[in-house]
Amino acid sequence: MAKVYDAGVKDYRETYWMPDYSPLETDILACFKITPQDGVPREEVAAAVAAESSTGTWTTVWTDLLTDLDHYKGRCYAIEDVPGDDTCFYAFIAYPIDLFEEGSVVNIMTSLVGNVFGFKALRALRLEDIRFPIAYVMTCNGPPQGIQLERDILNKYGRPLLGCTIKPKLGLSAKNYGRACYEGLRGGLDFTKDDENVNSQPFMRWRARFDFVQEAIEKAEAETGERKGHYLNVTAPTSDEMMKRAEYAKEIGSPIIMHDYITGGWTANTQLAQWCQDNGMLLHIHRAMHAVLDRNPHHGIHFRVLTKILRLSGGDHLHSGTVVGKLEGDRDATLGWIDIMRDSFIKEDRSRGIFFDQDWGAMPGVIPVASGGIHVWHMPALVNIFGDDSCLQFGGGTLGHPWGNAAGAAANRVAVEACVEARNMGRELEKEGKDILQSAAKHSPELAIAMETWKEIKFEFDTVDKIDVAHK
Amino acid sequence: MDKPKTYVGVNNEINGGMTTIGKIIRDGWVFGLIEETETCEGWNLAGIDSLLQKVNDEWDKYGCLVRFLPPELRERHQRIHDKAIQNAKTAGWSGEHETDGEDE
Repeated sequence: MAKVYDAGVKDYRETYWMPDYSPLETDILACFKITPQDGVPREEVAAAVAAESSTGTWTTVWTDLLTDLDHYKGRCYAIEDVPGDDTCFYAFIAYPIDLFEEGSVVNIMTSLVGNVFGFKALRALRLEDIRFPIAYVMTCNGPPQGIQLERDILNKYGRPLLGCTIKPKLGLSAKNYGRACYEGLRGGLDFTKDDENVNSQPFMRWRARFDFVQEAIEKAEAETGERKGHYLNVTAPTSDEMMKRAEYAKEIGSPIIMHDYITGGWTANTQLAQWCQDNGMLLHIHRAMHAVLDRNPHHGIHFRVLTKILRLSGGDHLHSGTVVGKLEGDRDATLGWIDIMRDSFIKEDRSRGIFFDQDWGAMPGVIPVASGGIHVWHMPALVNIFGDDSCLQFGGGTLGHPWGNAAGAAANRVAVEACVEARNMGRELEKEGKDILQSAAKHSPELAIAMETWKEIKFEFDTVDKIDVAHK
Repeated sequence: MDKPKTYVGVNNEINGGMTTIGKIIRDGWVFGLIEETETCEGWNLAGIDSLLQKVNDEWDKYGCLVRFLPPELRERHQRIHDKAIQNAKTAGWSGEHETDGEDE
């Protein structure tokens, strides 16, 4: 006979399943998607998740008498069906704010996505959303500068920012790398970017890269009269080394640095963000490793949660997905977490995967970065979807231009300005995009060539993770 | 397989020559730094790198943009690059190659 799950001495639901509980304004709320083992009742497994993500492990060590369990325990207060999927269900859990250290996303996530994910009553578990109460939000530092201050620092208004990831080329020398940055910036980009896996390898140590790139920025600024930047990746093996690189970037005059916030870790990220705020530096955040956590619809952590974690931990830019292009994502879900990045208050909206109202108070917003697999033909849709407070990054769509990097940058700059102008005149970008770009290309041979280079491409990939209502 | 020590020549390149080195060579032709019959076949990396530095110096005179080239250079640029794009397309290159494997 197969072994059946057994809670042990006492069923979890007797302590942690509280359907009559009304969450407090100060509670941290979580929505989990739970796929239970066969034969385990929903209420019991949901209560087990509430227990094991809060005080469940304490009771086995300290005993109930020594811990004020009723005050600190997580409470599962609701269970719902997942639309179109009867293998799993949603469980809503409230945690008292005092269970967590102030200003520490690390502490919260250690509880909410800690040991509970290996719990034997579960087949799979996914953290779909968290509501951070304003009382907790105010204990966090948040984005170092925020959207408006970034625009003021850069003196750039009324259009999306343009960027490009520089791929190492020609023997990977720091000098040639700096040259590619210069060409992109000279051609019309606002930012260039280190690849996320460029740190300080033997082929290009960080200090040489920083020096040559800064030289490129200053040359491009002098020739264009515009403020420019390059996301200098300060991600490092230790936080001391990371801070050393950040200090050097500031010393040579770079306006912005970059961090891989998931692989680098949230402690390091929060430390770096606070330093950036204290030192007037912008912070670009890459999300390398996110798909390990967020791609499986039944297990892991949804990206909207990772987005909220970043806004609390601190970052001025965050890669968001592109909606259109080769790395296409679900449009409604992406729009949901873009709002989570930028807005002050986001209403619950299940059609976009948002399970809770989220009030950020006065915490600054984060600029979403659409990067990867996009080119000039996507520009009308990107401007329409992402709006002005965004950064559109064309890597291959810049460096792959047959005339070279500067021409690729110029094509994208002309295209984005044409789209913004058309939108401001009341034209429908996604409907009239072709006409808008063709008119602009009459005055820009760089754009004309870009449109000729990429017009044949069709992207038809299905997305793996969709809003639950779309499953089945 | 060992990496070749010398360049295969722009006419024998992958992607019909639509590569970083291919672009350097074509710009070398545009600026008259090498003859248009020079494919750089058999050159080592130092030779290519040296050509790149010269090409960069030339582009610096014109802000890296075609629209700032004088008419004669602009016409030569158009002729050389139009032909290169056509050849690359004939060889099977498309812009799709350029947006593969990107970060997000």
